[in-house]
Amino acid sequence: MKFTIYQESRPGRRPLNEDRVAYSYSRDALLMVVADGMGGHLRGEVAAQIAVQFITEAFQREAKPGLRDPFRFLSGVIADAHRAILGYAVDHALSETPCTTCVACIVQDATAYWAHAGDSRLYLLRRGRIRAQTRDHSRVARMVEDGLITAEDARWHIARNRIFSCLGGAGTPQIDLSEKTPLLAGDTIVLCSDGLWGPLDDAMIARAMSSGNVMQAVPALMNQADVRGGENADNLSLIAIRWESSHTEDASGGVSTEIMPLDHFTTQIEGFSRVQESAQQELNLSDDDIERAIQEINSAIRKYSK
Amino acid sequence: MPSQANAALPPGYQLEEYRIERQISLGGFSIVYLATDKNGEPVAIKEYLPNSLALRAEGNVMPAIAEENLAIFRYGMKCFFEEGRALAKIAHPNVVRVLNFFRANETVYMVMQYESGQTLQEYIQRNKGEIGERFIRLVFTRLLNGLREVHAHKLLHLDIKPANICLRMDEQPVLIDFGAARQTLSTDGPLLKPMHTPGFAAPEQYQNARRELLGPWTDIYSIGASMYACMAATAPQAASQRLEHDQLVPAVKRWLGQYSRQLLEIIDWCMQLNYLARPQSVFALQKAIADKRRSVPKQQGTLFDNLYKRVQSLIK
Repeated sequence: MKFTIYQESRPGRRPLNEDRVAYSYSRDALLMVVADGMGGHLRGEVAAQIAVQFITEAFQREAKPGLRDPFRFLSGVIADAHRAILGYAVDHALSETPCTTCVACIVQDATAYWAHAGDSRLYLLRRGRIRAQTRDHSRVARMVEDGLITAEDARWHIARNRIFSCLGGAGTPQIDLSEKTPLLAGDTIVLCSDGLWGPLDDAMIARAMSSGNVMQAVPALMNQADVRGGENADNLSLIAIRWESSHTEDASGGVSTEIMPLDHFTTQIEGFSRVQESAQQELNLSDDDIERAIQEINSAIRKYSK
Repeated sequence: MPSQANAALPPGYQLEEYRIERQISLGGFSIVYLATDKNGEPVAIKEYLPNSLALRAEGNVMPAIAEENLAIFRYGMKCFFEEGRALAKIAHPNVVRVLNFFRANETVYMVMQYESGQTLQEYIQRNKGEIGERFIRLVFTRLLNGLREVHAHKLLHLDIKPANICLRMDEQPVLIDFGAARQTLSTDGPLLKPMHTPGFAAPEQYQNARRELLGPWTDIYSIGASMYACMAATAPQAASQRLEHDQLVPAVKRWLGQYSRQLLEIIDWCMQLNYLARPQSVFALQKAIADKRRSVPKQQGTLFDNLYKRVQSLIK
């Protein structure tokens, strides 16, 4: 597999980041997941954390190096993550169960499979146009689809954040599965939380991501959503991959999984209260930190000099 | 910031394996020296020494750092590391190369390849008003290749100007002095005072509180301003002044007939005050420059820009 991947999660103007994002890949399969823990509910970030961790760990157990049935994996693991959140609430005697949205995508054999619950979204972009996207589990979104209200009305609708399917909620979550979608070189897959898509519209996302360079497009789009979100900007998260055919020249910053050992995984999970941590670290640069930084720079200089 | 400047290390001083020849420049955060390595090859060495936090008196080697400034001094060092860390990974003919990094004299040093040519600033002074389109295209096309590599490493230069573009003997440009560079994605603690150069800095660089607006488009403004300076032989009006009273004559109005409309439109596009109205990536800009048949994508029009300026002046 050859692809370029980039993910980022920011708190927006909220004190806490309740979004979690992660990706993990083996030689033959790639998993991406975004979970948006729900504010207003008790400890939304816990639900999001459990969901992301649970799904990532299951992926690493089962993708050796490929998954037998990606759809069965997705529906099973998301339902299990829901039960894991309920279990956590029981174990910790929480008065209310925390809850989270979830969108997860598997790429295997140049084919994408995805599933979602809630209003975190997936877009598949091809040649600058939206080829496929998830349908939010919210009444407001369905009202737009039915032509009862316009997309602009929905932006300000009082119930725009209410969703009828989530993990950890009272009912059994509704989990929608995509079609099995073959990928072409140059396709871009975008997973994001509502903090990202809310202040933007689909056309802006498609335009921004169609440059093909996810390393630049992701931060730029995050900035755009952040700015447009204004004073109330919600947590915002985004993972994007650009799929390369196996024959293209090595895209800079790209990932090629061909040489990975069969039992090896590369995993990135983001969104752990990064803000507080880094602020503290920055004020406590010890002598050891300085030595380490210098060593790191010198080894990078050697590595990248011819 | 105290007006007192830091004393430079004296010529002949042996700094680890390098011998200091002379001071090249002195900034608020650092001193740059010309030095020779153990093979006698020239190198440029940058010494981290913010004069608001650490002072070196004439004749001394060790800087004096007040106890209460130590934490901020080290925080600033972190920015210096970020610059080194990002530059270390960039091996590109149009970006200055970092050769070594070490600690001495209670501070840190970055050794860089020494670029012996003249700066674009000097070239502009020598060729006032006589710089042709071919030269501008050649220099900036190559420079943008380097800048694209810089942005790919999530680093912004934030102080691009003719004085920071070095021309080697073969006219190959090299982007130097990443002193103002910050990694865009690192979360911020307290800020050291940001630096920028009037005339070349983008409007969003004047708004300290709005650092999240900085992006590739910020460096792109400076690229546009540098191209403008090649034609005008002086720096364009500062963005902070333009926000209040825009007197910058668009390149298209000023030089049509002398340069191609396409190049002039690209300069004006880069120098839009609204960051969203500029090319959003170096790639987009390169594409526009390479495509000589087409003119620049339709601009947001002056109405939008005027409105933007008015909103900006209200915010201030």
